[in-house]
Amino acid sequence: MSLLDLKLLRDLRALKSQALAVALVMACGLAMMIMTRSLILSLDTARTGYYERHRFAEVFSSLKRAPKSVAAQIAALPGVAAVEASVAMQVTLDIPGMAEPATGLINSLPDRREPILNRPYLRTGRLPGPGARNEALVSEAFSDAHHLRPGDSISAILNGRKVTLRIAGIVLSPQFVFEAAPGAALPDNRSFGVFWMREEELAEAFNLEGAFNTVALTLAPGASERAVIAAVDRVLEPFGSLGAHGRKDHPSDVRVTDEIRVLKGLSFGFPLVFLSVAAFMTNAVMGRQIALQREQIAILKAFGFTNRQIGLHFVKFALVIVVTGTLAGVFGGWLLGRKLVDMYLLFFRFPALDFQLATGALVAAALASSAAALVGVIGAVRRVAALSPAEAMRPEPPASFRPAFFERIGVARWFGVSFRMSLRNIERKPVQAALTCAALALATGILVIPNSFRDGINHILNFQWDVSQRQTVTLSLVEPGPLRALADFRSLPGVVHAESFRSVPVELRTGSRSRRLAVSGIPADSHLARVIDANDRRIILPPQGVVLSKALADNLGLKPGDSVILRVLQGKRPERSVPVVALAEDFAGVAAYMDMEALNRLLGEGDRLSGARLTVAAGRWSEFLSAVKNTPQSAGVVVKEAVRASFRRTTAESIGLIQMIYLTFATAVAFGIVYNSARISLSERARELATLRVLGFTRGEVGSVLVGELVILTLVALPAGLVLGSFMAKAILVSVNTETVRLPLILTPSNYAFAVLVVATATAFSAALACRRLNQLDLVGALKAID
Amino acid sequence: MNPSAHTPAGQPVSAEAVFRVRNLGKVYGTGHAAVRALAGVDLDLHAGELVVLLGASGSGKSTLLNLLGGLDSPTEGHLHYRGWNLGHAAEAALTRYRREAVGFVFQFYNLIPSLTARENVALITEIARNPMAPAEALAMVGLTPRADHFPAQLSGGEQQRVAIARAIAKRPEVLLCDEPTGALDVHTGITVLEAIQRINRELGTLTVVITHNAVLAEMADRVFTLSDGRIQNSHTNSTRRSVTELAW
Ligand SMILES: Nc1ncnc2c1ncn2[C@@H]1O[C@H](COP(=O)(O)OP(=O)(O)OP(=O)(O)O)[C@@H](O)[C@H]1O
Ligand SMILES: [Mg+2]
Repeated sequence: MSLLDLKLLRDLRALKSQALAVALVMACGLAMMIMTRSLILSLDTARTGYYERHRFAEVFSSLKRAPKSVAAQIAALPGVAAVEASVAMQVTLDIPGMAEPATGLINSLPDRREPILNRPYLRTGRLPGPGARNEALVSEAFSDAHHLRPGDSISAILNGRKVTLRIAGIVLSPQFVFEAAPGAALPDNRSFGVFWMREEELAEAFNLEGAFNTVALTLAPGASERAVIAAVDRVLEPFGSLGAHGRKDHPSDVRVTDEIRVLKGLSFGFPLVFLSVAAFMTNAVMGRQIALQREQIAILKAFGFTNRQIGLHFVKFALVIVVTGTLAGVFGGWLLGRKLVDMYLLFFRFPALDFQLATGALVAAALASSAAALVGVIGAVRRVAALSPAEAMRPEPPASFRPAFFERIGVARWFGVSFRMSLRNIERKPVQAALTCAALALATGILVIPNSFRDGINHILNFQWDVSQRQTVTLSLVEPGPLRALADFRSLPGVVHAESFRSVPVELRTGSRSRRLAVSGIPADSHLARVIDANDRRIILPPQGVVLSKALADNLGLKPGDSVILRVLQGKRPERSVPVVALAEDFAGVAAYMDMEALNRLLGEGDRLSGARLTVAAGRWSEFLSAVKNTPQSAGVVVKEAVRASFRRTTAESIGLIQMIYLTFATAVAFGIVYNSARISLSERARELATLRVLGFTRGEVGSVLVGELVILTLVALPAGLVLGSFMAKAILVSVNTETVRLPLILTPSNYAFAVLVVATATAFSAALACRRLNQLDLVGALKAID
Repeated sequence: MNPSAHTPAGQPVSAEAVFRVRNLGKVYGTGHAAVRALAGVDLDLHAGELVVLLGASGSGKSTLLNLLGGLDSPTEGHLHYRGWNLGHAAEAALTRYRREAVGFVFQFYNLIPSLTARENVALITEIARNPMAPAEALAMVGLTPRADHFPAQLSGGEQQRVAIARAIAKRPEVLLCDEPTGALDVHTGITVLEAIQRINRELGTLTVVITHNAVLAEMADRVFTLSDGRIQNSHTNSTRRSVTELAW
């Protein structure tokens, strides 16, 4: 081992806690990045494999009813590879032990063959026998929510007739990796489930023998999805088609894609911040270490060591830190990634979700952090190398040659000696002070980000939800009905207030962009459903035009004042150009709103409603629910609190978990940064402070010089850090918000208070550690020579 | 707490001795690594004296000076400052002692680089009980014109004179100088030594100077030569010479 390497080892030992602090920050950034990149890889691999093995279709369409011969027509279309035509019906379920009715989507299984497309994966039990009666498969998400097992029974109302279904098996399906009711922005696995029955029995129950109402197909290699969709739409148009769509509009696939997009945002934003902090700290440690070793470097140079040799020496120093950080980061990312994969299995129902380490990201990250560290080292070595040895042997002169500002303005005498020294030190070494301040501000800033996620969720759960949706429950009809249906709803037991709504599938088109969704018709004087703008103010729906959710408008590139072509996908299929009158702010899915009368006018079918929003007296809730269970014409029941509880359990919890992980990291990093800053000022001052001790300053006085400096810098850094953190939180939120779930930027005093508290605690802790080290200062040693 | 208030009752106190040193010894480290730096040193140092310590490198001069200055504690023997048991004093009392009674001048100046000459002196006057003004201290070492310069802007000799001004500004009872001219040329050394001698004369401060330059012995009242941690020779000058009269 060369003597320079021996020096390296000794220096490292002396700086071990500082080097560890830097490695820790780097490890946190890498762990986060590896965790998220690995999750992305795991989800992506699982999805691709699953879709392939279970033949997930590429184009989907629903329609009213078409004879089986039409399926053959579709199969013959150019660009179509395989077609599966089936029956899918939404039904009301009566689940033992559940007060409110649930909704089921029953799909047909071909009687005498395996499905060509969208094959279910059997988790437990068996398939219903060919031509079996009263047997069903149930999705795992629903069976988990209700603890159903093969052999259990449930009741369903099939076309007004109550049927008892025995559960033959529990399955997963590539169509329902993410299981939510059609059109629902948020999932609730208790109130909505997916089922499969043999086709004959299902078709018979709904008078669809020899017919189908849903079709899925795959594309031939090289076929254009657009062209096939157009062709399919032409064929199905006479059969009440709701319009074909590709995977990008598939409600389950979109969720997986969106989750991957969120992870991509997180895998970039957070680690970028952390790795930059780590690079910054490596620079600070190395730069200042090299500055402290000015004289040593000068002497090495005087004895003939080349700049390269000396540079390499410090590069090795940085590499030790980088390697330590990388190893810890990879290990941490691997551990956390494995944990999170298990959590994802609860939201995304894959037959298996195996953790896959994203090695590419790992290499990239390690290279990035080494590069960052090297740039820092090289810069610092260059500065020293540029000095002549003679010059380097003197201490660096201070930049300012005037009496300190605060002494000039005469406030100095108000403070104690130590405090004045602290102020002087800061003023005389502005660069160091600024660097420390920047580090402390970063520490504060990164603490703001994770809690802004938490506060965003709480805002949704506690405020937004209740402002925009004030009903207790939403009931929808199987078919749009006449206005008098509202009177029926009103007469249900316990109903205090009832309001009709209309929901119609439409296509919104502008230029080359288009989007299919259900437009909601809301009565102009609605009390229960309120459309809210970005300032939490209610938007009054005008008699003309449409209000789009911000996410939808962004997606279509529209702003208020533009007009959009609205094509209705049912009935007489009218098409109109309507103005966009305002943008609504909501947190999930995409939405379009119109005045209900205006919508009905546009449809030209008279005054009809799709369902009603109701408020129900709390005392009569169970009475109300049992009445609803026996109302055959209601096809869907959405209980607001159930959806909220489900959101709390799923989305909120997953974001909450990630937020906790990030918060832990941010706290660790904040401590690392603060401690490191304190150690740097200590090592820069060691000789000076020892001299003060020799001259008769007490431990307390010398300690308070150091602590005072740290406290002053912290006080300056805290507000700056809060501002910085707010901006970072905003940037990261923007990058992770998707169509399916959007968090508002909510910055609360308690978030700020937490960040301040952590940094203040870290400061106190670091100051205490620094003071302990002060007591070990070698007084006599400081007098012997300049180190 | 005044160190002199700690005079143990019943202890014979020589009226004029500032330091009373008996059989003083210092061992650094323990076991195999133990190094004996000082052994069996007996000394009495009096107010107003100028004492020079001579001796080969490693003979224990700095060790002795550091013990006198309360920077370190002896491992054996007695060390009294004005009857107060300095050798067994606690850390806090030693700090107090250094703060109130001792002025230090070191070979490497040990100035605070971020403070000007005046501020370096003011640093001490701010915590002392009965200090002179920083300007007065700087005037005594002839540095009035450079008062607002930083250490990096001063020559070695000038820096050392700032260190002396810093040491004497609190009007210490003892001034301890460890090779104050060690890093300086002869001419610069003379100005520094003149400053020390002037302080000793005008303020009557007991001054102990370590040097490798035997010529300097003639400026002292008494000269001690150390060898292997022991006082090998002590010598009293009948007349003290002024620094400028010495045969350089
Ligand atoms: N901290 C220490 N640990 C171990 N040994 C020490 C320590 N400090 C000094 N010594 C040893 O004690 C002895 C006396 O040292 P001291 O510094 O007093 O010598 P000195 O007379 O001042 O020498 P110089 O003229 O070279 O400054 C030397 O042998 C030295 O190696
Ligand atoms: Mg010495």
